[in-house]
Amino acid sequence: MNLITLKHGVVKLLKFLLIFLLVDQLLGYGVHQLFLSQDTGKFARSSYVINDSNDEVLLFGSSHMVRQYVPEIITKKTGLTCYNAGAEGQQLLYHTALLQMVLKRTTPKLVVLNIDEHWLFESDVAYSRLNDLNAYYSYHKDVLYPKLKEKSTFVPVKMFFKGYQKNSTLVHVVRYFFSPQGSFNGYKPLYGKMQGPSNKSHNNEALSENIDLFLVQNLELFINLARENGVKLLFVNSPYPEAKDFGNNKSLQKIKQIAKENKIPFYDHLNDGHFVGNYAMFNDPMHLNNEGSEKFTGLVADHINMEFPDLVNDSK
Amino acid sequence: MLFTSFDFAFFLPIVFLLYWIFYKNIKVQNVIIVLASYVFYGWWDWRFLSLIFISSLVDFLVGRELAKVESKKGRKGLLLISLTVNIGFLAFFKYFNFFLDNFYSIFTFFGQSFNGQLFNIVLPVGISFYTFQTLSYTIDIYRNKLRPTKDPIAFFAFVSFFPQLVAGPIERASNLLPQFASKRFIDDKTFSYGFKLMVWGFFLKLVVADRAAIYVNAVYNNVESHDGLTFIMATVLFAFQIYGDFAGYSLIAIGTAKLFGFDLMTNFKRPYFARSVSEFWGRWHISLSTWFRDYVYIPLGGNRTSKQRWLYNLFITFVISGLWHGANWTFIIWGALNGAYLILEVLFNKKRRSGIHNVLLTFILICFSWVFFRSNTVGDSFLIVKDIFTNPGDLYIGIGDDITAPIYAVLGITLLLLFEVRREYFTNLLSAFWNRYQLVRMTGYSIIIFLILYLGVFNESQFIYFQF
Repeated sequence: MNLITLKHGVVKLLKFLLIFLLVDQLLGYGVHQLFLSQDTGKFARSSYVINDSNDEVLLFGSSHMVRQYVPEIITKKTGLTCYNAGAEGQQLLYHTALLQMVLKRTTPKLVVLNIDEHWLFESDVAYSRLNDLNAYYSYHKDVLYPKLKEKSTFVPVKMFFKGYQKNSTLVHVVRYFFSPQGSFNGYKPLYGKMQGPSNKSHNNEALSENIDLFLVQNLELFINLARENGVKLLFVNSPYPEAKDFGNNKSLQKIKQIAKENKIPFYDHLNDGHFVGNYAMFNDPMHLNNEGSEKFTGLVADHINMEFPDLVNDSK
Repeated sequence: MLFTSFDFAFFLPIVFLLYWIFYKNIKVQNVIIVLASYVFYGWWDWRFLSLIFISSLVDFLVGRELAKVESKKGRKGLLLISLTVNIGFLAFFKYFNFFLDNFYSIFTFFGQSFNGQLFNIVLPVGISFYTFQTLSYTIDIYRNKLRPTKDPIAFFAFVSFFPQLVAGPIERASNLLPQFASKRFIDDKTFSYGFKLMVWGFFLKLVVADRAAIYVNAVYNNVESHDGLTFIMATVLFAFQIYGDFAGYSLIAIGTAKLFGFDLMTNFKRPYFARSVSEFWGRWHISLSTWFRDYVYIPLGGNRTSKQRWLYNLFITFVISGLWHGANWTFIIWGALNGAYLILEVLFNKKRRSGIHNVLLTFILICFSWVFFRSNTVGDSFLIVKDIFTNPGDLYIGIGDDITAPIYAVLGITLLLLFEVRREYFTNLLSAFWNRYQLVRMTGYSIIIFLILYLGVFNESQFIYFQF
């Protein structure tokens, strides 16, 4: 190795870096346009919520929200426009980030958060699935960076590349282009019917029973953000077909305690007599079917009417 | 430290710069390699550095003494020390629980209740690779095929060389060790060649292997819930997963070594284009296959013996190779099955075949053996085989609502096959990656890196072969 070869090598490397950055920017722009072109599917729904929604009620939660809350019924019973912003498999970090992004642009009157009982337990999934929001990193770095850096290293380096920001979005784009997904203001109905008790175990995706303090902080952030922006909050638990004892579930008890301290109405339907044992209302052991969802959403709408009469009267 | 971690992305340039600052002094460069390799390995678990250190020290001393001792008995004794230490480590950390468990099972089989306990032994990453590498050194000296090195730092660097420390290629001392004694060079061509190999390696690992792994794991970790068609799909995907994983690691290792001025041996040559199982083994994990050929198969007599003994040698070599891959009966059956394939090829004289149908047939046979390799238990593998032949059922296409896992996997495999078909059959065809114009080549590789970022899986998953 001598100075001439070194110089030649460095020039070549710089040339390559320049070309790669150009390719990343150009193809990145292309995949970004492709990403934004989606009309249906999970990214189309999150893009709508972040960039376009002006609904008075936004519904947040996991698949228990997407599959079980019918916005049309809430609008019908309360007079408030409503969108189901739930995202399958997503947990508290995602919803807090989503709320932060939404509040930068618009202020819904009410946010309903469907609580999953394991949300405060330590779980890598809660963090890894936040990657679904990477596509919005360029515009919401302030929201996403503090959350992503908790379990991921070199976040700014990775997010510098447009290709990485849109990682794992291609198949969704193609899939929903050829086979648009039915969605009713974000609600995705299920039409199956359980025949009876299921042998499948209750999968709550929690790996431990230790409370994750960062998740607790995010729940408090969610509440404070709503309060600071004048957004009313309602917490709800959705039902299961079989009665279960959640008395010892530390995560659920902690969420209830935080809700109580912050005077947030919390309606616990986990062991709701309307649904327990009523298998015909369930698609599977975790989700109501459309019939059950309509009935359950009716109950949620009643809670809204009772807890927030001012909001409802204003809209009427 | 994993090649696919961002830690490595920072580690590599630092070591690279430090290493080439001292390009005039190979002794300092070797010290840097030893230190960097120990940091690389210790990043995973520093306690097991002691095993590499002991293996290196024992074999260095044994090698030195072998050069001095002339009596056959003395030389055998020295070799035995090396074998005992290295195989001893391997036996304890990798096989102790396996043999203990089988020992208990024999008692249970004969109706004796035996409540023996297994030990909680952590398998040190890459132990099978570096013990084989260092063993080849003492065996070659014992056979008078190699002269021992007098430079302990060079020898320690040879054993612990971080690009290939944990998953090969398993280098021979005769190829790698002399490189530690000679001056190394790098120019822009060597650098870009190494870099290109690394890019392909990352593509194979992150876009092909890790994507396929999502579907494969979902199926193979829950065999009771799936049927024949799903097992066929999962097994085909596994064939590409393990290829992408291991060939990807090898390419990254060879490319990284190039950046430091070292040439490592080729480990894979598009194995799924093989037209017979024997050809497959000439293209798959070449460094291990040749290791077993030179240190197990030939000492057993190889093919220069009676036909019966020859077939026995083939079979037993593959059974041992199976056991090398893991302390589980699934691996032993996998090895035995491959041994049986080779025996049949010898018996029916089917070693040299041609035609695309033979490529397909070989692929099917290899896939069938992968069922045993990937299954968590022997019971699972027989259930899978039974379902493949008797219960096609429905094809499982995804986890819940998400069907993207197999689609990404198929997409990655299609891209891989496009590149490999071109390299196997259409070498004269113009390609962006071998183009005479630098701009075209650079753009081609930039697109590959973009695809890795866009389609890859970034959960820093382990390489499969780390467990071996």
